[in-house]
Amino acid sequence: MDNIRPSDIDDKRLRFDSFDGHSDEIFKKKQRLPAMGWNSWNAFGSGNNEELTRAMIDKIKELELDKLGYRYIVLDDGCYKPERVNGRLQPDDVKFPSGFKAMADYVHSNDLKFGMYNDIGTKLCSGAEVGIFGYEKVDCEDYIRWDIDFIKVDNCYYMWDNATFADPSNAKYSYAPNIKSILAEGKILSAVKDAKITGSRAEIRGDYVSFIGTFDGTAPDHTPVGSRSSEVIFELESDTDKETDIIVNYATGEEEGVGQWLQVAVGNEIFFDDMLPATASAETFTDSDPIRILLKAGRNLIRIMNHRRQENTLHSYAEIKNELINAGGDKDIIFSICEWGKTQPQDWGHKVGDSWRILNDITFQVGADGEHGTAAWESDYTTSITSQYNKCVIMDEFASPLRGWNDPDMLVIGMDGINETMNKSHMAMWCMMNSPLMLGMDLRRVKRGDPIYRLISDEDLIGLDQDALGVQAKRIFTTYRCDAPDKEYIRDNKRIDVLAKPLSDGSVALGFFNLDTSDRNDNVSISVDVIYSALGHKMIAPERFKNASSYKITDLITKEENTVTGKTFRIDSIRGCDCKVIKITPVV
Amino acid sequence: MTNREFITELCRVTGEETEDIFIRGRRAGWLEAEDELDPELDIARKQQARILHMYLLKEKKIPDLKDISKAYELKDLFDCRVCANHVAQVYCRGIMDAKNLMKNGRFLWFDLEGIDDDHAIRTHLSRLEDFLS
Repeated sequence: MDNIRPSDIDDKRLRFDSFDGHSDEIFKKKQRLPAMGWNSWNAFGSGNNEELTRAMIDKIKELELDKLGYRYIVLDDGCYKPERVNGRLQPDDVKFPSGFKAMADYVHSNDLKFGMYNDIGTKLCSGAEVGIFGYEKVDCEDYIRWDIDFIKVDNCYYMWDNATFADPSNAKYSYAPNIKSILAEGKILSAVKDAKITGSRAEIRGDYVSFIGTFDGTAPDHTPVGSRSSEVIFELESDTDKETDIIVNYATGEEEGVGQWLQVAVGNEIFFDDMLPATASAETFTDSDPIRILLKAGRNLIRIMNHRRQENTLHSYAEIKNELINAGGDKDIIFSICEWGKTQPQDWGHKVGDSWRILNDITFQVGADGEHGTAAWESDYTTSITSQYNKCVIMDEFASPLRGWNDPDMLVIGMDGINETMNKSHMAMWCMMNSPLMLGMDLRRVKRGDPIYRLISDEDLIGLDQDALGVQAKRIFTTYRCDAPDKEYIRDNKRIDVLAKPLSDGSVALGFFNLDTSDRNDNVSISVDVIYSALGHKMIAPERFKNASSYKITDLITKEENTVTGKTFRIDSIRGCDCKVIKITPVV
Repeated sequence: MTNREFITELCRVTGEETEDIFIRGRRAGWLEAEDELDPELDIARKQQARILHMYLLKEKKIPDLKDISKAYELKDLFDCRVCANHVAQVYCRGIMDAKNLMKNGRFLWFDLEGIDDDHAIRTHLSRLEDFLS
């Protein structure tokens, strides 16, 4: 693996500047609703095997969960031999003695869909040295041979990123060097005094700019909304179209915030995209060789940047998608990006995937055969229901049937550590947020009619998740003091949130969620006008909703129904961790 | 100490038969294929944690601790997602400990990839033995 480097990127559709657009998609994507099924990880961790998977399939059929939409059976990490055999992936011979094709056949014979797992790095997260890096073609051929319908692709041991589960010195690829100045047209322009710094990632340190790159979004510390990357931009006037050279004064490093890879663009034309020679330290500045650029007559924006953190990751995922298409033609395979929000996949995931994880795992206390595993309502890190919710709830504008779905990780219903009320709110949150609904428990503990069964089979809640309109709920109100409830990243759980979600029949689902573990007596009242104002442009018949003389109210959890003539919907109190979800249907 | 030597030593302190231990351990779910594949590699701390935890869970049927909040003080706990629970279970039970990297303060580091000397490994096994007794 020595002397390898990130691939050249010739396709502009993989570039940062193309992330916003839809007209330049790389692959023909199928519009779809969030995937539903069962994934082995939370239930059994690395201990999943053929016998357990078959038991889960049998249980899904017995409980008829497939008829409700739970159709994808996904084998997560821990199913492969820890090394390749003649360059190919092989099943762990103790866990899956019959092989993956036999497993797929059993899944398909039950009219279910089969999913598998890999990783864009050199190893899987378990440490097994069978990551797909360098083996994209042969692995995708094998996945097609094994007849997969779904692939989850992780991000451990990735070659070109420094953060979380990767070599910290890879920062040389994911950040630009520290930049002091450029020499252009005979003038020295200071990065601190003469340039504009975009985004909030970069930092001024004395007479230079550092942290020119993209936020690591794996941990819950940073908002996903707004510009997550920074550039240093110099403005330069030119009388004519002409070629000229610039020289960049820089210092390199291999640590968070300072790297070695530089991109230089004028407007959206990239003129340099490569490593610079290393300097003695991150504060020992030197001049680059001349970099030839093309100026146009008039005002030019010279962009000093490094978007490779996002572009490399997208490139790696796209390579897998491409090889799946090469091997499988138009076989319908759901592509689940699992890079944990590290490189802000809400910006680019739509180009490749059907969903993208938004954070690190919802729990690390996974189960085993005979052990349920443990989850939590709240935590300081990503390992709780509310940690995932708090980020996902402000990401609604990134999701749609065409783009794909924010993925706040698998359901933890059925694990220890969370009670029935928390389970209920968890399910309702995920359904309101159009999250993939992947069960993550040992289904053998579920019996038809028991509380867990009633919750995971609640057709009204599932109906929200799978509603054909495909609009992720928007937070339209919170009792936390803030100016923009739909945009502000709030991690203090002592609050009630109100989410609204337009539905395909012209109605609106309204969810009141108490994030607090204590009961609250807040009087929270939401008017039709507030809903209309926030979501009218996404509703099927907004004027009909706004002007209705009365509304049919269906409590989607208690199933109670009534009709009201008022224009407000309210709660006066709500138990700790509880929720109330109603469907508001206008009656003309 | 190599993977093989560690597993042999674990068997000695717990009274397990060593014959066919790799295949029996894998079937029981407390050993992984990688343990059998690389038996002569020095055992890393994260592997010790995995084997010790999974031995307690699968062979001794001792349920996991639900509250692992004490392990959150380990700065590298979440550096390996599949290791986190193994590390937390043996750390919270006092079977394996962490290093404090600060002279005047507290910066606890489990050192997932670290290789312990034989004395340290025997201490872990001895603590496991005490825990089981």
